Amino acid sequence: MTNLASFEVRLAQASQASQLLRGAIATVVVGQDAVVDQVLWGIIAGGHVLLEGAPGLGKTLLVRTLASALDLVFSRIQFTPDLMPSDVTGTTVLIMDAGGSGGRHFSLHKGPIFGQVILADEINRATPKTQSALLEAMQEHAVTIAGERHRLQEPFFVLATENPIEMEGTYPLPEAQLDRFLLKVMVPMPTEDELTQILVRTTGHEVAPPAKVLGQDDVLALRSLCRDIAVAEPVLRYAARMVAASDPSSSFAPEKVKQAVRFGAGVRGAQSLILSSKAVAMLEGRAHVAFADVQRVALPCLRHRIIRSFEGEADGVTTDEIVQELIRSVPSRPESVDQAVRRG
Amino acid sequence: MRVGLLHVRRSATDTLMRTEPRAEPNRFYGLFEKWARRVRARMTIHRALTGLAIGLVVGALLAVGAWRLRQGAVRPYMAAAGVVGLMLGAGWALRRRWSDVEVALYLDGRLASKETITTAIALRDEEGEDDAARAVVVTKAAEVLAAGNPKRARPAVLSAVHLLIPVGVGALVWVSITELPLAPVTAIEPGADIVRVAEIEALEKAVELGRLETPDPEQRERLKKIGEDARKLKEQLEKGMERREAQSEMARLRDEIAAERARMSGSEQRAGLEAAHGRLAQEKMLKEAAKALGDRDLTRFDEEMQKLANQLEKQDRELAKKALEEAAEEARKNNAKDVAKMLEEQKRLLEERAKRDEALRQFADAFGDDMPPQMKEQLDEFREQGTDESAGRLAERMADALKNMTPEERKRLAERLKEQMNKQDGESPGESMTKEQLEELADRLETPEGQRALEEMLRKMANEPPHSDEAERDRALGDAEKGLGEAERELGQQGPQGPGQGQKGLGTAPVPVPNSGGTPGASPGGNSTDKGNSKDMGGTGSHHDKGRGDHKGSTPEIEGDGFRARAGGKLNPGAPMPGVVTGRGKGRAGESANVRGLDGIGEASTGEVGGVERSEIPEEYREQVGRYFSP
Repeated sequence: MTNLASFEVRLAQASQASQLLRGAIATVVVGQDAVVDQVLWGIIAGGHVLLEGAPGLGKTLLVRTLASALDLVFSRIQFTPDLMPSDVTGTTVLIMDAGGSGGRHFSLHKGPIFGQVILADEINRATPKTQSALLEAMQEHAVTIAGERHRLQEPFFVLATENPIEMEGTYPLPEAQLDRFLLKVMVPMPTEDELTQILVRTTGHEVAPPAKVLGQDDVLALRSLCRDIAVAEPVLRYAARMVAASDPSSSFAPEKVKQAVRFGAGVRGAQSLILSSKAVAMLEGRAHVAFADVQRVALPCLRHRIIRSFEGEADGVTTDEIVQELIRSVPSRPESVDQAVRRG
Repeated sequence: MRVGLLHVRRSATDTLMRTEPRAEPNRFYGLFEKWARRVRARMTIHRALTGLAIGLVVGALLAVGAWRLRQGAVRPYMAAAGVVGLMLGAGWALRRRWSDVEVALYLDGRLASKETITTAIALRDEEGEDDAARAVVVTKAAEVLAAGNPKRARPAVLSAVHLLIPVGVGALVWVSITELPLAPVTAIEPGADIVRVAEIEALEKAVELGRLETPDPEQRERLKKIGEDARKLKEQLEKGMERREAQSEMARLRDEIAAERARMSGSEQRAGLEAAHGRLAQEKMLKEAAKALGDRDLTRFDEEMQKLANQLEKQDRELAKKALEEAAEEARKNNAKDVAKMLEEQKRLLEERAKRDEALRQFADAFGDDMPPQMKEQLDEFREQGTDESAGRLAERMADALKNMTPEERKRLAERLKEQMNKQDGESPGESMTKEQLEELADRLETPEGQRALEEMLRKMANEPPHSDEAERDRALGDAEKGLGEAERELGQQGPQGPGQGQKGLGTAPVPVPNSGGTPGASPGGNSTDKGNSKDMGGTGSHHDKGRGDHKGSTPEIEGDGFRARAGGKLNPGAPMPGVVTGRGKGRAGESANVRGLDGIGEASTGEVGGVERSEIPEEYREQVGRYFSP
């Protein structure tokens, strides 16, 4: 009974916290509710989020606002082609002792990665070498400088943005790095109303930054609660079937997958589906995951993990279309049950 | 404003104290079991009905198949397929019974509870799960079930496939009461039907030929072979064989027998036969006998000689004996030993038969007024026919009359015999019984032993008449040939018959014929004992035949001056022409008119091609016919 009450209260508080966070962001960012929600799923599930969208859609603003609403250490890295890995991670510098004693020593200068909310702006403009500097930090929440390993402070998450248009002078992220992002969020153009509202806000006096509504411990508590959300075996199997069906060599892969996909999502894809689904369920105040949660998170979880084949690219088949095909064709329930449900 | 989730967590106990007591997990499981029973029961019914529907459709299809095969009786039983389908459906439902998780998934789907029930059921089976989340989910699931509308959540028992149930039942009923289709007409190759014959008398006679005694060893071998072939044919007919095969074999046997009969007039015998025929033909009283000899019909020749023995006076008999003797001599001169031997035998028989006939007549006269009517009738027949058979029958009647005579009648009979004896004193004994014979006869009548001996003598006379071996052989051959011909014709005339035939006589295997249903019934000429389903369902020709044809037609008269040709020969419409149609039978001796010297002697020799000019053949065809028959 104790656990029951405690759990329900925590769920309610988590839901309340997410509402507060959304409200704080909404004071600065106009619209983009879906994007905000997906970013929240990523933070709560403990993953990193890649935001892709045209310039000027508020990606950076969203991240900065989020960082402002969280009482966490915020760092911003503007990725450029000449950015060096040490510019990200930091480096040791030779320091001459003061007083002319002639003594000297090496001192660690921490890079921007030593933050809690990292904004990797225009990540695809840096060279792969620099991009790879993020790999260890993202996967292990630690960096190694001059042979010395340094733990990063939790909670640690990277919010990266990339521009799909400026292909000139950009370096597409390698698959291994893409796979480390829990979610890839597409930032859409604002609607007319939202754009009008943006104009009102940005052409007058500067808007005050939002209040900090969640602290470090709160974020960690949300993450802990997220892990407690129950998932039934049929739901786990559904996620597994969906990921397996994205593999073109699978016997039950849809025809579209067999034609347009070269490599399907892997284990991290399935983990991403379940963790994100848990976050969705938690934010909705549920203690368990439903099939609908998996379907809801399938696009941001899988779209960057599916590698199209030559035919797929030539035919212009997008990964979003492939994921939608998976959602359509992979049955959530056994066929006999599904027929009975539809028959009523 | 900070939310302070940790603070919330610290004060959770306070919140907890204000929370209403929640339902126990057992409540959920109890509710779930109740719902699950309902769901499973309805799914079982649904699947059983699906099996019933499929079974009925299958049954209807089977019934249609039975209808097409004209198996009318089995059609209603095809409904059993529905019962089988129902049982299979129920079995399938029990075998594929939904698990708890499947039921929970179904309930979640119907109640739109976002897998709450499924998660609660799944967590029940898992160990080590977070009790907090489990408790919350179970409680939520219990609330869902408690608030759920059972009507909304129950599976539908009926579905579209169940429309096949009334359709299947209707189809079964319809197919069961629909009239059976007409049987397809199966064309059978002429004569290819199987014929079974239990007994043919003519074949028995042909088999008997194998046991006929002849002085010529070669002829004995030939007859033995004919008998053996006839026996094999008889066995094959008992087992069943093709009609055309049987007819062909019979024709072959008949031809061999005919050839055997005609052998006497073979090329080596022919000159003697012609010489003997010419000598006999000189005597007017022997004209018929000469004609029979010319026809090589020894049986008829013998019969003619029997008549002559009975009818001719003593002087005429002497002339006849002389003619026979000279004819035999002529035959011998022309190297026709068999003909000569036969004529000499006939001469001997003429003497013996004359004596027998005279004795019978005298003895019959002695009966006087005591002659029974049957004996008198037989006496008249004897006088008219004069054959061995009539003589034998008369002797038999005499023996019967003698047996039934009173002593007075016997006495009178003896007295009359003595009177005849006295009457002969002044006459030449001639061919009649001698005085001693008559005296002995009269003496015998006076004692019972003598009477019995006289009876036996008369019966022996009836049973063992004087006979000619050649004539006997020819008669046996003639009987077998004639019988085979009749059997062959009978076989050809027999139509296809129904099963159950062949007990005696001719019968064949069943042949499908068009009818209005059921098995073919009796066909013309058959004596089928098969009752079958033939009630109101006859085959072609049956009086039950309800064919759709129009029987009101008529054949118009053909205008003509009359028949221009006459056919004297026997026609056998059912039999193939020997040696022509089947190609198996040999050509029959004497049937080929363009072979010199094998036609009837004394009537129309093939050498007389001019006979065509004297015939009834229309003038415009004579040249052509003459050319055809020219040797």
